[in-house]
Amino acid sequence: MATLGRGCWSSAAMAMANHHKLQTQTNKSISLPMSANYTHNSFFSFNSASLTPIAAKSSFKTAVAAVDSDGVTSSNAAENEQPKKYYFVVANAKFMLDEEEHFKELLSERLRLYGERNKEQDFWLVIEPKFLDKFPNITKRLKRPAVALVSTNGPWITFMKLRLDRVLSESYEAESLEKALSSNPTDLQFEKPEKWVAPYPKYEFGWWEPFLPPGSKEEAKV
Amino acid sequence: MATEMALVKPISKFGNVSPKFTIPRSFSRSKFTTVRMSATSSQAPSKPRKKASKTEIKESLLTPRFYTTDFDEMETLFNTEINKNLNQVEFEALLQEFKTDYNQTHFIRNKEFKEAADKLQGPLRQIFVEFLERSCTAEFSGFLLYKELGRRLKKTNPVVAEIFSLMSRDEARHAGFLNKGLSDFNLALDLGFLTKARKYTFFKPKFIFYATYLSEKIGYWRYITIYRHLKENPEYQCYPIFKYFENWCQDENRHGDFFSALMKAQPQFLNDWKAKLWARFFCLSVYVTMYLNDCQRTAFYEGIGLNTKEFDMHVIIETNRTTARIFPAVLDVENPEFKRKLDRMVEINEKLLAVGESNDIPLVKNLKRIPLVAALASEILAAYLMPPIESGSVDFAEFEPQLVY
Repeated sequence: MATLGRGCWSSAAMAMANHHKLQTQTNKSISLPMSANYTHNSFFSFNSASLTPIAAKSSFKTAVAAVDSDGVTSSNAAENEQPKKYYFVVANAKFMLDEEEHFKELLSERLRLYGERNKEQDFWLVIEPKFLDKFPNITKRLKRPAVALVSTNGPWITFMKLRLDRVLSESYEAESLEKALSSNPTDLQFEKPEKWVAPYPKYEFGWWEPFLPPGSKEEAKV
Repeated sequence: MATEMALVKPISKFGNVSPKFTIPRSFSRSKFTTVRMSATSSQAPSKPRKKASKTEIKESLLTPRFYTTDFDEMETLFNTEINKNLNQVEFEALLQEFKTDYNQTHFIRNKEFKEAADKLQGPLRQIFVEFLERSCTAEFSGFLLYKELGRRLKKTNPVVAEIFSLMSRDEARHAGFLNKGLSDFNLALDLGFLTKARKYTFFKPKFIFYATYLSEKIGYWRYITIYRHLKENPEYQCYPIFKYFENWCQDENRHGDFFSALMKAQPQFLNDWKAKLWARFFCLSVYVTMYLNDCQRTAFYEGIGLNTKEFDMHVIIETNRTTARIFPAVLDVENPEFKRKLDRMVEINEKLLAVGESNDIPLVKNLKRIPLVAALASEILAAYLMPPIESGSVDFAEFEPQLVY
């Protein structure tokens, strides 16, 4: 399987694991929080810092600056010069956006969490990404149009690969977020499923718009 | 674990496997409301049931189980010294996901609960209580198992151990939330009592992986289906707990992913003909158990506006599709013959239940059961022997080189 950059992730993860050891856990007795209002479990303390692997943190500011949607800081050339690593999983658009409905739920859940914890978005869906040109071994096995889930959080992409399974995974470097997420304009169309037996309707076409890169959102709506 | 799996358990009368250890080491009873329920009851806690003090729990073939396993073998399996091929990268990625704790602030109740419970009257009330009770037991059983695994694996594989502990956190929340729901009906499950009094079903680690994987994934599909159905048909939203299912079931799905990673770390459980037979066996056990269980409780599903059999078939088909990403073989559940077989099992099961409720003497009951049990067994066997579908993760599967993504 094409999964590069594992060494890099594991070092990040190791840092994470070490960090976690510092958190004291004295859970000698089994106790169940009987109150559902009990948001802080007695034997686990969590802070929002655990969202990001520690090793990735040093470069995280760059991402924040680059993603800034108001455009004030995004033109900061000095920060854009540092190439950043992007991890992705990719498959055909039908699989990613139409068939795998749990995928939509995972992305919405994560976006909801980022909102709750005031965390800058670090994952995007890219329809027909330009970076695929760098990966002939992937493109020769890929139905088009393709959709990639891209993130600066390597371990999370490893998790998404585990979840989706029928996807290809790789990583690349790019100097700016704009370059990293640039795509070729594509029209998406999914045929309605022949028989839809679920006792609920499908997620609406276009559910993915909140996850498109900042610049392409308006494009998609046109 | 959000659902139960029972058919694979030997019926206690016919030789129960005794658990290798007893779990309730330091379980603090004091934390729990001390109402003991041996079966569904809608009485107020102030007047406990007559039989409540007895340690007898009504268990049938289809009641949710508590599981235990060979913890020494588990330790060996995940010892990074012995097993150098463990894909720690996947486990570390999962650990990050579980630490993120998406549902840290999700399980907060409001006053809608009590109001809705008070409005639920008649047979539906009874059936709701049973639903909460069974779900709570199932979640709690996951809590116990994961908690113990978290404790036992701490030394040999701290990453895997911590994931188990974090999963037990989720299960504890779920069980606690459901138990709070029972309090809306003036009831509470005495979980400390359950811990001690319930029988534990012993499974070898390999079977724990198959069983809990399926249990978590089918739990996800049940919860999300109910959630999405009720979102579309809010007039059936008779109790607010269902509104929590969307976020809730993401936990179940992630738990399933972890078992997927555990199995990938032990390819010997996935890659031979025996693994294929076991995979089919566990799929069938879980699907049949759910189908028979739910058809017995069709009033519950109809009460929230679902067609029980259609709901179950949807859940089975989706779970099977999901399971095909990891199990080396799955059942051809989309073949209409599979559903026909399930429906025949329901008919036979109904006859079996009728025999149990009749006034015959035990000997006559048993004689009447023989042909029915034989018929049920032959249906199950026939379903098992239907041509399977080859499947598996693309990280292992033989069809991978031909796959177009």
